[in-house]
Amino acid sequence: MNDPVMAQLYGLVGTAGNAEALRSLRDQIQQRMQSLLPSASVEQFNNDLNGMHDALIARGIYVAEQEMARMGMGSPPVPYAYLLFGSGGRREQTLASDQDSGMLYDNPPASMDGGAVKQYFYSFSQVIVKTLQQIGYPPCEGNVISSNPDWCDSLQGWMDKLDRWFEIAHWEVVRYLLIIADGRMVCGDRSLADRLKEHYFRDTLDHPVIVRRMLENTLRYKVLIGVFGQLITERYGPQSGSLDIKYGAYIPLINSIRLMAIQGGIRATSTLERIRALRDAGKLSEQDSAEYASAFRLFLRLRLYTSEATDEGTYGSSGKLAGSRLTKQLACELKRGLRTGKKLQRRVYRQTLGKLK
Amino acid sequence: MVKKVLLTLGALSLIFPAMAFAGAPSAGMLNMGLNTLWILLAGVLVLLMQGGFILLETGSTRMKNAGHVAGKTIFTMGLASLIYWAVGYGVAFGPNGNDFFGLGNFFFNPPIAAGETDGYATTAFFIFQLMFVTISLSIAWGGFAERAKLSSYLIFTIFFASVIYPVVARWIWGGGWLAQDGAQDYAGSTVVHLTGALVAFAATVLLKPRIGKYNKDGSANEILGHNQVFTALSVLLLWVGWFGFNAGSALSVGDGFFAYVAFNTQLGAAAGAVSALLISWAVMGKTDITTMLNGALAGLVAITASSAFVEPWAAVVIGFLAGILVFYSVKFFEKMKVDDPIYALSVHGAAGVWGTLANGFFATEELAAKVGVGQGGLFDTGSWYQLWVQFESVVVVGAFVLAASFLILGVMKMIMGFRVTEEQEIIGLDLSEHGNYGYPEQMKKAQQKLNA
Repeated sequence: MNDPVMAQLYGLVGTAGNAEALRSLRDQIQQRMQSLLPSASVEQFNNDLNGMHDALIARGIYVAEQEMARMGMGSPPVPYAYLLFGSGGRREQTLASDQDSGMLYDNPPASMDGGAVKQYFYSFSQVIVKTLQQIGYPPCEGNVISSNPDWCDSLQGWMDKLDRWFEIAHWEVVRYLLIIADGRMVCGDRSLADRLKEHYFRDTLDHPVIVRRMLENTLRYKVLIGVFGQLITERYGPQSGSLDIKYGAYIPLINSIRLMAIQGGIRATSTLERIRALRDAGKLSEQDSAEYASAFRLFLRLRLYTSEATDEGTYGSSGKLAGSRLTKQLACELKRGLRTGKKLQRRVYRQTLGKLK
Repeated sequence: MVKKVLLTLGALSLIFPAMAFAGAPSAGMLNMGLNTLWILLAGVLVLLMQGGFILLETGSTRMKNAGHVAGKTIFTMGLASLIYWAVGYGVAFGPNGNDFFGLGNFFFNPPIAAGETDGYATTAFFIFQLMFVTISLSIAWGGFAERAKLSSYLIFTIFFASVIYPVVARWIWGGGWLAQDGAQDYAGSTVVHLTGALVAFAATVLLKPRIGKYNKDGSANEILGHNQVFTALSVLLLWVGWFGFNAGSALSVGDGFFAYVAFNTQLGAAAGAVSALLISWAVMGKTDITTMLNGALAGLVAITASSAFVEPWAAVVIGFLAGILVFYSVKFFEKMKVDDPIYALSVHGAAGVWGTLANGFFATEELAAKVGVGQGGLFDTGSWYQLWVQFESVVVVGAFVLAASFLILGVMKMIMGFRVTEEQEIIGLDLSEHGNYGYPEQMKKAQQKLNA
């Protein structure tokens, strides 16, 4: 982040007083970033971009907190941590990403009215989601969002919920558990988030069978490469010939790495950090980790390409790479990456089932 | 009268052997009666295939056209029967005429019964042959689907059942010039399937793609059929009927050779279904139901020409390759911007060509002699002759059918118009051509949603 224009814009984010100002800053920063895209390395670009998202979201939450006070609801009665899930949690948001979030607040002391605290954070989350929407983050379609009462709870509430999920272990809650694994605090009290993570990993160790369920979910999306080593592209529609980078390359890879990280007790949430941590813990060889990381960087780069086609007003992404952009060299690179992805899926499958025996 | 009694007794003797001694019909009469019984039964099985086509075509197209698509099959079958009786049969099998078309037996008035020196009653033969015309016609309708005017079905049926199909049948089955060259097409990979498919091709080219099939940039959209269960059931009905189609073509019960034909038919169809499923999985990463169903049909179409001429292992190979061929053929026609709603060009055309050529490779000398048509193929005899004859018949028949179809349909298009208007196409042919929806409740609901 040596760009002076950027530095100035960031300064403005830190002092912006309302959602409209943040929205206009977002547009300016993204414009600036897109012009810098060709010269930046994908990892650098991704870091900068997610730094921007973090800054905007954190400031958006601050703005929402002010709004709460203005509405006469006071200030937060107990410390809280605002969590991002999904790509936000992994620090892998593209130019267009939606809100996957959760609200975590400290257990209210006995002297406080628990119901009132709960009510405050419900309202607070509603305001946050609305504010972030104004900044250009559409709400999560799967309803994994802090304004959903299920995703807004006290620390004790969250811990009980996790225990319950680990007990039930059917497909829907397994999905939630995998979502939680990507959870990252974007603003608030770090120790709260750490305590929840602590609990999560203890539960995982206590329920070895859960990883089998997680495996089914993890391998749900297939890598889009056929038995003849060919790319499997869309057959019909205006996007025929394009390759679904998001679900056919990126998601299978991040899913596999996530499961390995959960099994290895690794707390990092970004895929590259997870790969590094797995290597440092001796769970991945030097060579394998380099291979996975390079495949991941490729998918990340292509994924950024796909979000260029934005509709007016909102940031949207098809996640699909047009066939016309698949040059021979790129296709070759992509095939290598996809083969790596497939190999990784097989490895996770064997490793997980092997562990259960 | 005596004959009738004998025939009845002959048939009854199947059920009550003891009675045979009472009436004591001659061995020749029994043989004739049995053959007739089998041919008529086979004809009825082929008729059942129309049920398959109704479900195939309806299932593969949209709800708004369902009643039209299903109903027109029955109507054109009726019309084709009358035309074939009046004209077509005489052109195909008339006793006079030449190597190119027959004359005589128009408004066919058959003898009421057959004698002990006959192979079978000609009435049964007529029924069997008639069913083939209607099958070929139903294949052709694939190219008309969802956008042709009802009147064009009517007019085209007249030309198809009187001239186009009978001429091809004459050449290959009626002792015509390709038959004299030894062209092997046991039950009609070329005569029935390729002929129907090429009409479908001409029609779909002249009609142009359905609204919404292709985007401005040339990419294709998938217009899904409204009921995949219909489509699957249609394949089962066709498969069952195909035993009449192929095994019935033996035209005799005799030494049981017709069962050998049925045996090969089963192997070919089975291999087609399996290979199509495998290739769709290998290429697209997902097993595609439509492709698999097309594969089973392609296996059946391909083995139709060769079922009596090849050994079982070859039947498996022929069906297997047909299943793979149909997958790539569908992709090819789609790329060529030929809109083929029920895959008639690929299932009946590409597989029909392959099945006919396959004889040139896999026919054995022994079986060719047994059937009494042509000779062994390349692998059995090392001779290229049969392959050449097969190639010739495909090219000649193909050229004739294409020319005749483009001519007739082209003139129809000029004079009376071939395609419904855009409004009619969008509202659906059920309403525009017949005034009622095939699925009234559902379509009313859809309409309400549209207006809301």
